[in-house]
Formats: sequence, C-alpha cells, structure tokens
Amino acid sequence: MTLTRRSFLSAVGISSVALSAAACSGPTAGSGPATVATGKLSGQVSLLTPIFEGAAGKALLEQKLIPAFQKTHPDVSFKVDYVNYSALNEKLTTGLAGGTVADVLMLGVGWIPPFAAKGVLAELPAEFADGQGFHPRVLDPSRHEGKLYALPAVLDTRFVAYRKDIFEEAGITAPPQNWEELRGIAKELTRSSGGRISRAGIDAFSIDLRQGWEYALFANGGKLFDETGRKVLFNQREGVEALEFLAGLIKDGSTAFDFRSEAGKPLQLQTGNAAMALVNNAHFMTIQQQSPELIKEGKIGTFLLKNTTEAMFQGGTLASVSARSKNPDAAQTFVRYLASPEVILHTCEYRGSVPAISALASSDYVKNNDFVRFAVDNLDKSVSEGGTPAWMEIRDTIKAAVEEALTGKATAQEALDRLADTANDAIGRLQ
Amino acid sequence: MTSVATASPDTAAQSVPPRKKVSSLLRSQRRAGVWMALPASLHAGIWIGLPMLASIVLSFTQYDVISAPRFIGLANFEDLFTDPVFMTSLRNTAVYAFFTVPVSMAIALVLAVMLNQGIRGQMLYRTAIFIPQVTATVAIALVWLWIYNPRGGLANQLLGFFGIGQVSWLTDTAWSLPSIIAVGVWQGIGLKMLIYLAALQGLPKDVFEAASIDGATAVQKFMQITVPMLKPATFFVLVTSIIGAFQAFDQVYILTQGGPANSTTLITYEIYKSAFQQFRMGLACAQSLVLFVFLIVLTLINRRLMGGSNDDS
Repeated sequence: MTLTRRSFLSAVGISSVALSAAACSGPTAGSGPATVATGKLSGQVSLLTPIFEGAAGKALLEQKLIPAFQKTHPDVSFKVDYVNYSALNEKLTTGLAGGTVADVLMLGVGWIPPFAAKGVLAELPAEFADGQGFHPRVLDPSRHEGKLYALPAVLDTRFVAYRKDIFEEAGITAPPQNWEELRGIAKELTRSSGGRISRAGIDAFSIDLRQGWEYALFANGGKLFDETGRKVLFNQREGVEALEFLAGLIKDGSTAFDFRSEAGKPLQLQTGNAAMALVNNAHFMTIQQQSPELIKEGKIGTFLLKNTTEAMFQGGTLASVSARSKNPDAAQTFVRYLASPEVILHTCEYRGSVPAISALASSDYVKNNDFVRFAVDNLDKSVSEGGTPAWMEIRDTIKAAVEEALTGKATAQEALDRLADTANDAIGRLQ
Repeated sequence: MTSVATASPDTAAQSVPPRKKVSSLLRSQRRAGVWMALPASLHAGIWIGLPMLASIVLSFTQYDVISAPRFIGLANFEDLFTDPVFMTSLRNTAVYAFFTVPVSMAIALVLAVMLNQGIRGQMLYRTAIFIPQVTATVAIALVWLWIYNPRGGLANQLLGFFGIGQVSWLTDTAWSLPSIIAVGVWQGIGLKMLIYLAALQGLPKDVFEAASIDGATAVQKFMQITVPMLKPATFFVLVTSIIGAFQAFDQVYILTQGGPANSTTLITYEIYKSAFQQFRMGLACAQSLVLFVFLIVLTLINRRLMGGSNDDS
C-alpha cells in the first residue's frame, strides 16, 4: 500500500480516536458476586505495594513471602512495583489512565470506598473475611456498601506515649482522663529556655496533622461523615473542639507548631524533649533500636486519647484486586495469602505494625512489642478515617484546614466550615 | 452602490512577476528538507500537539481518570475562579515570580560581569555558581531543609550569631513563601549567569575601548554600553525565567508541600494536587490552561515592553 498524505492523515486521525476511546473507557465492572478461585493457577501477577519499601522489605517479599506462595502455585510469577505512600496516588492515577494498573493493589484505610465505587476494585468473596479471626473494626475499612473489596494486611495505629520518669518526677501518677487534665499536665511539664521550648509538654504534630486532628475528633466522640458517607459531620461541635484542643496546646505554650520530631532522628519523646507524644505503633521499633534503655527501664508508657470517648486511631494497609486484572484468580488467591496469619506476622515484624488477626495476639512478636500489644488490646476502641466515596478528594484538603487553625489564620470553626464546603462539593460530584 | 475598479487582463498579467523556474536540484532539496523535518514535526504533533489538544478538551469535562470524561462546559473554570485555594496559588505564584525573576537576574548579571574580568580562579567560581542548576532539586531541598531547621539549622544559627531571634522559616505563614523564594533565587542564578556570560563574551571590544578613550567610568560603561547591548540576552533570560518561575514545583513539593495553610501553594503544585491526589484531571487541565494563557500573555507583554529581541540583535 502506498502511503499518501491523505491516507497518513486518516490513519493518524483514526489512531487518535481509538487512543482517546481507550483512554476514556472505564474499567470493566464485575459481572456478578465474587467467587473463590479454584483450579490450577498460572500466569503473572503484578503487585503495587507501599509497604515493602527498602532493601529489607524487598528481600522479605521476594525472597520469603513470594517463594512461599510459589511453593503451592509454582506457575504464578510476580512483577512488583514498590512505591511509598506519598507517591501511591500518582502511581494509581497514571496506571489507571494508561491502562497499566497492577493486578493486586495495596491501599490505605479510607481508600476502598472511593475506588470500589468507581469500579476500580473487584469484589472479593465474602468468605475470605469469615472465620479468619479479623477484628470486626479492622474489617470495616475493607468494605463498601456491604461488599468486601479488600483484606487487611497490616494495621498502623495512633495513640499517646509518655515518659513515665518525667511524670514521676512531677508527682503525676496517672495518665490524663480528659483534655482539660491533659492540657494541665502538658503545661506543667513544659520547660522553656531563651524563649524556645526546651521540653514540650506534648509533641502533638510529629504524626500527620490530618490524622492528629481526626484522632482528637474520634476521642471527642465525633465522626467525619454519616453512615451513608454523603453527609459531612466533622464541622460540628466535636470536630471544632478537637481542633481547638490542638490549637490550645500551642496557645498554652505546651508545644509549638514547629515542634516536631525530624525524620530519621530520634523522637523528641526519646530524647526527653517531650513528656508526651502522639505516636504511631511503629515508633516502638525506633525507640528499641535507638534507645533500648528506655524500654528496659520501663520509661515509656502509653494511653489512649480521651475526652468524651476513649479512642485509638486505626490506619493500615489493605490488599485488593484490580477489576481490570487479567489474572483475577491468581490475584485473588495472592490477596488471601497476603492476609494470612503467617504473612501478616512477617510483615508486621518488618514494619513494627499491628497484626489484623486476633490469633496473633499471643505471638512472641506482639508480646515483646509494648506499643503493638497496647494496640491489639485496644482494637475494640479503634476508629478509622474515610467513610465516603469522595474521600480521595477530601483527604488531601484536611491538612491545610488544620494548619489554618493551628497557625491562627482562621478559627477552628471557620477552617472546618471551609473544609466542609470543599467536602460537600466533592460529595456533590459523586454520581 | 460601490463601483469596483477592475484591472484589464493585460495589466493584471503584467503586475504578476513571472514565475521562476524551479530547478530539479532545488525541488529535491526542498523534498529532503520536508523529510528531515518530518520526525521532529511528528514528535511535536504527537507528544506536544495531541496532549495539548486533549488537555484543552478535558478542561471542559469532569474527568477522574477512572470513569469516562463528562462534558460540563465552563464549570471547571467557574470552580477555579471561585476557589480561594486556587486564587491563593495564583497570588503566591505571582509573588514568587515577582521576587525570583528580577532579583536572580540582577545577581546573575553582576556575577557574570565580575566573572568576565579574567580574575584568578574564575572557572572555579563559575562552576560553583552553576552547580545548583545541575544538582537534583531533591538533594538541594534536603540541604535547605537542614538550613531552615527551626532547631539548630544554619539559618537560625547565623541569626543567633548576630543576636537575632529564631525564625520558623517553613512553618510560619509569614516566612514560608520568602523562604521558598530564597531557594528559587539561589537555584536560578547559575543558568542566568551562564547566558549572560556567553552574551558578554560576544560583545564587541572596540566599543568599550572607544568608551575608555572617551573617559567613561566602569559604571558608565556598564550602564550605557553593557546593559543596552545585552538586551537580547536579557529578553531571553526574562522570558525563560518567568516561565521557569511560573513552573516552579520541586522545592514546594519537598520543602513545604504547599503549607502551612496553603501559604506556599504555587499553581503547579495545585495542578499536581488536583490531578494526582484528588483525581480531578479535568480541573487540573483547566488550571494548566489558565497557566498556559497567563504565560503567553506575559511573554507577549514582555516582548512589547522590550521591543522584541530580534530588532536589537
């Protein structure tokens, strides 16, 4: 065939239309209730994971976990895409736009409803969650409209850790029972030098600001959204008080907006520069590695943040199957494997995370990790973020609203009302 | 009724110049030129033209990457101009450009003139000044994170040496944008200096010699000869600097992530957030289009104000 100018332009035009159509086509929706894969599995499974980063994580996944899976499924091969949580969104966006989304997606708590509602995730058989020993609160973030779309791989909780030795020196014998007491203790334990805080009463901003405020909201009996995920509740009294509580700590001089533990350096709590701190359970490993004497001497205590309700913030990583997977049976089986007790235990040991399965509470790992044991003991008080299909749009805007209140650019009510407007817009765009 | 004067066929034929006979060599050269330009044209058409077209089309849609785009007319643009965060990002970007462009251009020009004097170790100085340009912004930002560290960072240690109080460089809404601007100025000097240096070395020496004979001082020579003769280079540096300033992203992404309270959110960071964190690709395309139009207008204004570069070159 001779290439003429007209035929060339026609070909380009047709290709463009085809490309656009391919780009615009949505994912294939599930054709019915999910069934458990049976029969011999084969083919390649691609995995997008934010939790096996670094050489140690890669070694664990590729030299231990995947080979163990391949012992029973030797014809399944794997292609792993490692990413950290800060870039997970980008990776998903580009994967979805380019039609290269992985078969198995590991997502954060709160991410399931948005992606399930848009048909990105395949429904999992309900029996995957039954009889496995998952705590009911742990399974909540894996569901959307009553259907199961993911299984919890690991949990990452937030609570308060404190220095027992500093408390004892000040004659404080028990952790605070409400925010008024906490502010009083924080103020009492704060030390300043040359106009700067040398020891903060509480290091409240070293964990993610969004999660810090949400945790306070939950401890004040508040919710982000109603049960339908369509009504904003966070700008009601409970949320406003939660933000005012955090801002109040700055006003009291018990902490400062820039008083944080730096990445890669010992925590302010470890060095004694903070008497209390909002922490992640994984911080125990940091303390154990960098300041083992604090653990041996029993100087670190833990308590749940409480005003009207005793609450623990629950985050974590969930494993799900892409609705576009070309190898759904193998992907589904691998997801179930990732949420099996032995894999969860290995993953938790690597990350310092909390196992999602109650049976692992008696494991040596849990027994020997004070923060993880504390989290496991309090799973019935855990509350997760998210809860609306519009979460991915709202999630990112919360931090700026919290910062507005903490830096005095707006009152807590003003900042949360503006945030509510943004959230309502996002919810209004849901189809 | 308007009367139309028509030329007679003979007159018209006389007014058209006779068509030159194109030689076969010229024809084959033209054909070769077309073939040689074809790969670049195809590349530009496919990788620049089509995405631009797609971006313009998508800016009129609600598109979340997952579902098919839905035409919503001008709704994205209405959202943009009523969104306080986008308006803040526009203002921040304008402030960022206003301070980084002239300041870094002035410093770059002075440095270029100094390093054009044949001073000892000039290669070392030139390299040192140019290094930030070729260093990964991530590495640079990490160094600046340490400099701006509120506890023990270099910036606060220097202030302490002079008895000045400590500053929360990146966490105080009053200081965060100036801190980002300082990084932008520092990082942008190298390339501008290099362009000025190249332009300076192309200036005719005899003009300066004549001025020296006439008794002109160094400042007079700089203001009345160097600066006017560098006008084409200045136009180029100005346009590319403005475009660069409006496209600044890395330092914000690493140093502040737009915070605190959106005080350092620039347009590009807002586009990134809309597209990759909020899955609002249609809105991100609308924001990109606004940025594109803004840059075109600024470039045209610059060209008009400076009388264009070609006229003076």
